[in-house]
Amino acid sequence: MLAYLRRRVLSSALPLLVVILGVFFLARLTGDPTNLYLPLSATAQQRADFAARNGFDQPVLVQFVDYVGQVVRLDFGESLRTAQPAATAVLRAFPATLQLAGAAMVIAVLAALVVGSLAAYRPNSAADRAASFLSSAASSTPDFWFAIMGVLVFAVWLGWLPTSGTAGAAAWILPVVTLLIRPFGVLVQVVRGAMVTALSAPYVKVARSKGASERQVIFGHALRNAGAPVLTVAGDLAVGLVNGAVVVETIFGWPGIGKLMIDSILQRDFAVLQAAVLVTAVAIFLLNILIDVGYALLDARVRQGAMA
Amino acid sequence: MTSPLRSRVAALAAAGAVLLTGACSVANTDGAAASDTVRIVLPEEPPTLEPCDASLSPTGRVTRANITEALTERVPSTGALEPSLATEWSQTSPTTWRFTLRSGVTFHDGTPFTAAAAKFSIDRAVSSDIGCHVDGYVFDDSTLTTAAVDDSTVEVSTAEPDPILPLRLSFVEIVPTTTSATAKVREPIGTGPYRIEAWNQGVSLRLARFDKYWGKAPDYAAAEYVWRAEGSIRAAMVGSGEADVATGLAPADGAGDRGVTFPNNETSYLRMDAGKAPLNDIRVRRAINYAIDRDGLVASVFAGLGEPAAQLVPAGVTGHNPDLKPVPFDMERAKALIAEAGAAGVPVDTPITIIGRNGIYPKAAEAMEVVQQSLTQAGLKVEIKMLDVNAWIEYLLGPVPADVGPVLLQAQHGNQAGDAAFTMASNYGSKGQQSSYGTPELDAMIAAAEQASGADRQSKFASALAFQNDQIMRDAVLAHMKGIIALAPNVKYEPNAATYDEMRLSEMHPAG
Repeated sequence: MLAYLRRRVLSSALPLLVVILGVFFLARLTGDPTNLYLPLSATAQQRADFAARNGFDQPVLVQFVDYVGQVVRLDFGESLRTAQPAATAVLRAFPATLQLAGAAMVIAVLAALVVGSLAAYRPNSAADRAASFLSSAASSTPDFWFAIMGVLVFAVWLGWLPTSGTAGAAAWILPVVTLLIRPFGVLVQVVRGAMVTALSAPYVKVARSKGASERQVIFGHALRNAGAPVLTVAGDLAVGLVNGAVVVETIFGWPGIGKLMIDSILQRDFAVLQAAVLVTAVAIFLLNILIDVGYALLDARVRQGAMA
Repeated sequence: MTSPLRSRVAALAAAGAVLLTGACSVANTDGAAASDTVRIVLPEEPPTLEPCDASLSPTGRVTRANITEALTERVPSTGALEPSLATEWSQTSPTTWRFTLRSGVTFHDGTPFTAAAAKFSIDRAVSSDIGCHVDGYVFDDSTLTTAAVDDSTVEVSTAEPDPILPLRLSFVEIVPTTTSATAKVREPIGTGPYRIEAWNQGVSLRLARFDKYWGKAPDYAAAEYVWRAEGSIRAAMVGSGEADVATGLAPADGAGDRGVTFPNNETSYLRMDAGKAPLNDIRVRRAINYAIDRDGLVASVFAGLGEPAAQLVPAGVTGHNPDLKPVPFDMERAKALIAEAGAAGVPVDTPITIIGRNGIYPKAAEAMEVVQQSLTQAGLKVEIKMLDVNAWIEYLLGPVPADVGPVLLQAQHGNQAGDAAFTMASNYGSKGQQSSYGTPELDAMIAAAEQASGADRQSKFASALAFQNDQIMRDAVLAHMKGIIALAPNVKYEPNAATYDEMRLSEMHPAG
C-alpha cells in the first residue's frame, strides 16, 4: 500500500510542478497591469514608477527567478489590488469553496447512491423511469439559470430563503443545491448502471440463496462492487468543484476561490492568481491521492497489484 | 454486524457534518439589520479604503465624504465648490493658495485636525512614493509645495499658476499624521461622519456613526455594505428586503418600480482615428455623425437611459457648452458626404474597424451593431471587434496594435472632477493619453483655457468644444448616459451625477 502511494505521489508531483511554473508565464500573457491600476490620465513617469515599484520593469526571467525564490519560501507576494499578502486572500477564500463543494458532493453522492440503487433494483419500473428522468433533467440543467430562477422563486416570490450571502444556514441552501444538481444527475446514472450489472452478478444470487435480506444484498454486496466506477466519476466531479464553483460563487456572493481567481485574472493581480492556482493544484493533487486510496480500499485487485 | 461499507458511509456522512459545521466560520452577520442601519449592496468589494486612492470608484464610493473628507467639496448638481475641512481659501499669489482650516474637527482616533494633518495628507497623496491613484487622476506632473503657516492655515504652492487648485484638492482626503507615509492603508482614520466598525473581508463592511463628527449627525446610526457581482441579484436583494440600496444596475436587472434613474456623469462616444484614411477626411467624419440615429439608439438600445449628446462635457461641469446640439440623424446627407469624399479620391471603401468593449455600458455590443448597420447604409465598410477591458484599453491609450486599419473606438468618458480641464487635453490634445488626433490650434485653445479662471475659463473651454465640433469633429458623441439604482420603500435617497464615485451616507434618510 505504501509503495503504491509513493508511486502515485511521485507521478502526480510532476504535473504540480508544471502548474506552478506555467501559471507564472500564463498570467503574464494576459498583459501589463499598469493600465488597469493607474488612472487613464497618468503620466509616463507615473507609469514607469508603478512598473518599478512592482518589479514589472525587470526582464521576465528575472521576475521568474524571484517568483520561484519566493515560492520555495512559501512567500507569494502582495496583491496589487488590496495591498495584502496574496496568501491571506487565498487562504481566506479556499475554505469557503471547500465547505461549499464538500457539502454539495456529500449530499450528491449519498442521494445518488440511494436513488440510483432503487432505480437499478427493478429496471424499467416506474421508479426507475422517474429516476432516469430526474437525473437527465438534473445533469442537463444550466447552473446559472437554475441559480437565478431559484433566487426569483424562493427569495423574491416566496421569501423563504435569502437571495445570496453567507449568513446563516438558510443561505447555504440555494448555493449547495445549485452546485449539487449536476453531479447528482450524473451520479444517479452511474450508480444505476453499475448497480444493474452488480445485481445480476453471480455473487448476488449466492447471497440471496444464503438468505441475505434485500437491504443487505443491495447495500452490503452489490453497492460495494459498484463502488469503483462511482468513485471515479464522483472524484472527477469533486475536482471540478474544488477548482472553484465560479458561477455559484459569483451569483450568490460566496467569497470562494473561483471568484477570487476570475477577479485576479481580470485585474491582472498576478500574485493572487499564482497563489490561488498553486493552492488549488495542491488540493487537487491531494484529492487525487485520496481517490486512489479509495480505489485501493474498494478493490482488492488494485491493492494487490500495487503490492506485487 | 456492521458492514465495512456502512461504516464508510457513516464516516463520509460525519465528514460532511464536519464540513457543514466548519461552514459556520464563513457565516457572518450580514443578515438581519436594525432599521437604524442602511444596507447597501455594491457591485464589488472595495479593494481597499485607502483615501489617496479614493478617485478610484470602488474605493471612493465608500471612503469619500463618509469616512474621510477633503478641504473642499464639489456639489455634483451645481458644480459649486463648497467648504469642507477648509472654511475659506484665497489666492495669495498666482502660484499660491491659502486655506483656512475648520476648527473643532476631530479624527476618529480622537486627535484634533490641524494644519499639520492637512499638509501631511497632501504630501502623502501627491509627493510620496506610494503611487496614489489621485496623484495621476488630478495632478499630472505638477509638484505641490505645502506649508503649515499656523495651526489653522495651510498654504499650497504650484510651479505653474493653477486656477483650479481648490477643486483638485477636493480629491485629497485628509488623514491624521499617524497614517503610514510609506505604505497604503486598508482601513483609514478620517474626520468623516462614519468610522469603520468592522470589515469582514469577502463578506461585509460595516461603518458606524462617528459621535464626535463636527457637522450635522447623519440619520442612520450605521451602514452595512455587501457586494454581489450579479446585477439581477443586487436588484432582487432590494425586492426581498435584504438590502435598502442597490447600485450599478442595468435595465435588464429587473429593479422594477424600485429602480431610480439618474444621469451618471458618463458620456458614450465613438473616437475616430482622424489621422488615418478614410477617417482623415472631415466629410467622412461628418457623415458618420449624420448616419447615427442617436434618438433611436437611446430609445431602443439604451432603454431610454440617456440623452443624445453633442459633447463629452456634460452640464454641471465647467466648460460645458449649452449651445452645442446633437448632430441630427440625416442618412441622405451622410450618403451624399461619403459619395462626395469618394469622388474626391478618399478611399471610402477601406474597411473601418469598430473596437468595442463588452460591458462598457449595458447592451454595448448591440449599440455597436446598430452603428455598424447605419454606417454600412451610408456607404462605408465597417467591421466590429468586441474586446474585454484589458485588450480594449491598449487601443484607448496606445500604442495601438499595428495589425489594424482605421478604428472607431467605442468609449465612454466621465468627468468626475467637474472641470473641462479633466476632459480636454487628455482627450482632444495632440499629446493626450486618450487622444487619437489633435491640431496645434485646438491645443492652443485648450492651453489658454487651462490658465483662465471664472467666467473666462468657462467661455474659453466652451469655445474649444465648439471648435472641436465644427472644425475637427473627431468624435461621434452618442449620449449622456443614465444609471439605475434600486431603493427600498423605507429609504429616501436622491442619486446624483457623483453617486457611483461618492455615495454620501449622510444624504440617505429613513422614509416616513
